[in-house]
Amino acid sequence: MTGYSGYGSASSWAVDLLFTGSLFLLLFIMGLSFGLDKEAILKLKQTGLRILIIPFTVAIGSILGGLVGGLILRLDLFASMAATAGFGWYTLAGPMVGQLFGAEWGAMGFAVNFIRELLTIVTVTWMAKVGKYAPIASGGATTMDTTLPAIVRYSGSDVLVAAFSSGFTLSLLAPFCIVAISTLGRLLFSVICL
Amino acid sequence: MVDFAVFVAPLVAGILTGYALRNRLHANVSRATFATILALTFSLGFSIGSNNDVLNSLPRVAWNAFFMAVLAIVFSVALVELAKRRVKLT
Repeated sequence: MTGYSGYGSASSWAVDLLFTGSLFLLLFIMGLSFGLDKEAILKLKQTGLRILIIPFTVAIGSILGGLVGGLILRLDLFASMAATAGFGWYTLAGPMVGQLFGAEWGAMGFAVNFIRELLTIVTVTWMAKVGKYAPIASGGATTMDTTLPAIVRYSGSDVLVAAFSSGFTLSLLAPFCIVAISTLGRLLFSVICL
Repeated sequence: MVDFAVFVAPLVAGILTGYALRNRLHANVSRATFATILALTFSLGFSIGSNNDVLNSLPRVAWNAFFMAVLAIVFSVALVELAKRRVKLT
């Protein structure tokens, strides 16, 4: 809301710098915490790599959802796919999509993923009846922390490792996917324009 | 391709650094993460709030976002259920 006060362009270069700098820093810190986390990698190895089918399937499903949504709503398809490629991680997806596609898409990226997390929590009891891994699929990257307790409560503690591994993997995949989709979009656009 | 380098580089650098220091560094990164997220969401809010066009489009954005979130969840759940039937997951 501070932006609304109308101090527009004079101070916006400072905010731009803050934006880019903190995005950079967040990505670095996230990478750092992944690299430091010996337990997570160990848990993953113990369960067997087969469990990775879940996060990769969720990734494809999420991006597909974005594509279909973009088609139905007649929005930029690559921006839509990039937004849903946040897999629920709204604090990353919002700013990243905003940097790549503009402020309106930043709001969209934030909202899509925030709503995804909220919906996962609200529908967890019903999702657990749909299927054992359904809440994990719904939660995306959030199943490593914010939605993990709710999922374990209604799906049972035997899905704890699956939920954590899936969330962990999707958190790693999200920034890659968002950037890859954006790059692909730009490449295709430049090819079409030639 | 520049975007790839700009966004992926810090993530990879962080992973490599963390992995290299995993036996020596027991850093509590959560405070640093919290502060960074705060700065990030503030800047995102600022970029939205300072743009009249974006502000006016927020109600529409909200509905579109809800619709997309539902689609993302539906497709994710459906594909995982499909995968579960074809492959034994545990």
